[in-house]
Amino acid sequence: MELVLDTVRKTFGGVVAVDDVSAVMPQDKITALIGPNGAGKTTLFNAITGFDPPDRGSISFGDRRIDGLPPWRVAELGLIRTFQTPVGFTTLTVRESMLAAATPHFAETPVGALGLSRRARDHERASAARAEEITAELGMSDLLDVRTDELSAGDRKLLEFARSLMAEPKLLLLDEPAAAVAPANIGRLSQLVRRLRDERGLGSLIIDHNLSFLMQIADEVHVLDRGALLASGPPAEIAADPEVMRVYLGEETDGDG
Amino acid sequence: MTNPIFWVGVLTLAMIYASLAMSLNVESGWGGMWDLGIAGLLAAGSYCYVILTASDPDLGMRFAPGLSMWVAWPLSALFTGLVAFAIGAPALRLRREYFLITTLAFAEIIRQLVVIQADLTRGTVGIANINRPFDSFVTGRDYNYVLLGIAVVTAAVMYVVTRQVGISPFGRTLRAARDNEAVALALGKRVNRMRIKTFVLTGVLIGATAPVYLFYIRAISPQLFAPGITFTVWTALVIGGLGSIRGGLAGALVLIVFTEAVGLIEVDPAHINILVAIEPFLVGLLLVLVLRFRPDGLFSERSSFGAARRSAGDPAGDAARVAGG
Ligand SMILES: Nc1ncnc2c1ncn2[C@@H]1O[C@H](COP(=O)(O)OP(=O)(O)OP(=O)(O)O)[C@@H](O)[C@H]1O
Ligand SMILES: [Mg+2]
Repeated sequence: MELVLDTVRKTFGGVVAVDDVSAVMPQDKITALIGPNGAGKTTLFNAITGFDPPDRGSISFGDRRIDGLPPWRVAELGLIRTFQTPVGFTTLTVRESMLAAATPHFAETPVGALGLSRRARDHERASAARAEEITAELGMSDLLDVRTDELSAGDRKLLEFARSLMAEPKLLLLDEPAAAVAPANIGRLSQLVRRLRDERGLGSLIIDHNLSFLMQIADEVHVLDRGALLASGPPAEIAADPEVMRVYLGEETDGDG
Repeated sequence: MTNPIFWVGVLTLAMIYASLAMSLNVESGWGGMWDLGIAGLLAAGSYCYVILTASDPDLGMRFAPGLSMWVAWPLSALFTGLVAFAIGAPALRLRREYFLITTLAFAEIIRQLVVIQADLTRGTVGIANINRPFDSFVTGRDYNYVLLGIAVVTAAVMYVVTRQVGISPFGRTLRAARDNEAVALALGKRVNRMRIKTFVLTGVLIGATAPVYLFYIRAISPQLFAPGITFTVWTALVIGGLGSIRGGLAGALVLIVFTEAVGLIEVDPAHINILVAIEPFLVGLLLVLVLRFRPDGLFSERSSFGAARRSAGDPAGDAARVAGG
């Protein structure tokens, strides 16, 4: 299965934020999306996930058209995104945030709240175990009962990622998952992203400015510049592309992380 | 001291407001929907109950099926849920202050409808001597204790139901969507649908409380459902702690007992109008003082959920919180 973009375009007034982008992103591979600030990376995520539908072009996942679907529907199909600014569920603890991400629809009704269904209770118990497992892998076990608004920016960023794993993803869309994350935790993050691909066939589409992190784990890299796709290819090829280097060196503000 | 019957009445009223405040908390505290239409929902439930139980031909009402109160009571709750749906479906397309104003407007529309539909509701004339449960067994002053019992049971039911909603996965998702709608959507939550259901649930709970309110007031007329009652319920909830599990209960007790006690201050009859005039001022002062010293109310949302487990004896959690903050 793959995510297919066909001449996707998104403008804001006179600004062409995404300029006829076409690309194919396999669901079981790690794909990097890089480009200088304002290149349109986040806008592309918003278009894919239904938050800001494209002006034209089509987006499909597997055999389904997804452009025009509401965000919750896109998520139900397995495209789970994270946010560049990691605000999260401010007053929920890490544990509650993880569990909220995993709660099935049938438990999310007033009648379901009575807690009579055995299925809901079993689901909750399994989710609790999984939440502890995932947070442990990311070195966040001691933060389980800390409220989201009391986490450091780096830990909130890790929570964005951890939480998305609770929502039965088929493809993760991670918007700058390594930004503000402590170096030791970036190692854990890359390890987990890789392991998800290798062991569970769960791929990721990752935006980040930390190229050393991204180039190590990506199977394929797409470079976006001023809304348009500048280059696509395996990391080694992209790293050697003079045009790409020019775009990056031309942008002084574009450092790692 | 004033006679105990007076305080029985005060407690009864406090339990009624507590029931309303706990119901409001579900949609406003956890759901983040700041509803100013409580009076309208209460009117819908009350009039539904009064009309369904009416039988006296002297009243001259067009529709008076004379149902038993035990049948009319649950029907009133369901009807109020329907009314909540009719209000919520359009109003929930709006955000924050627009939602707030819209719910207030709907409540006023309901009140005007009651006035206009006089052949159904007896309009501004109203209906007096509403029948009350068990009043053929217990009469006179003793009935006040029966009424208190009914109000306490109602508040207890509201407490159990709203607490269960609060601590359930459903309540958790509600709070999550309130905190960050975009993230909830990105995780596949059907935020709007969930909010409408919550709005309806609050309607049902308020509709279930409405008959008890009528047993207490004994007479119904549209003036009863002016916006003032909405603000009293809100004040109780804010004092008790918006988003906490026990806040509505505690806040209503404090507010109603305080308000009624102010009414007891002995003054020269010539100055009684001054006392009446400063009563809202004193209530305002109470609110300011509570919020000054306990900004989250008597009980906070934090103490009701995750954070409670932490302060219960997990120093690591506290250390992490300090480090993280
Ligand atoms: N809602 C919006 N309204 C108007 N302009 C917008 C909006 N969202 C994005 N833009 C513009 O679209 C362009 C692309 O922005 P976008 O956020 O997608 O960039 P990005 O590649 O994610 O950048 P960064 O690396 O800084 O996150 C920018 O010029 C931005 O100002
Ligand atoms: Mg961005």
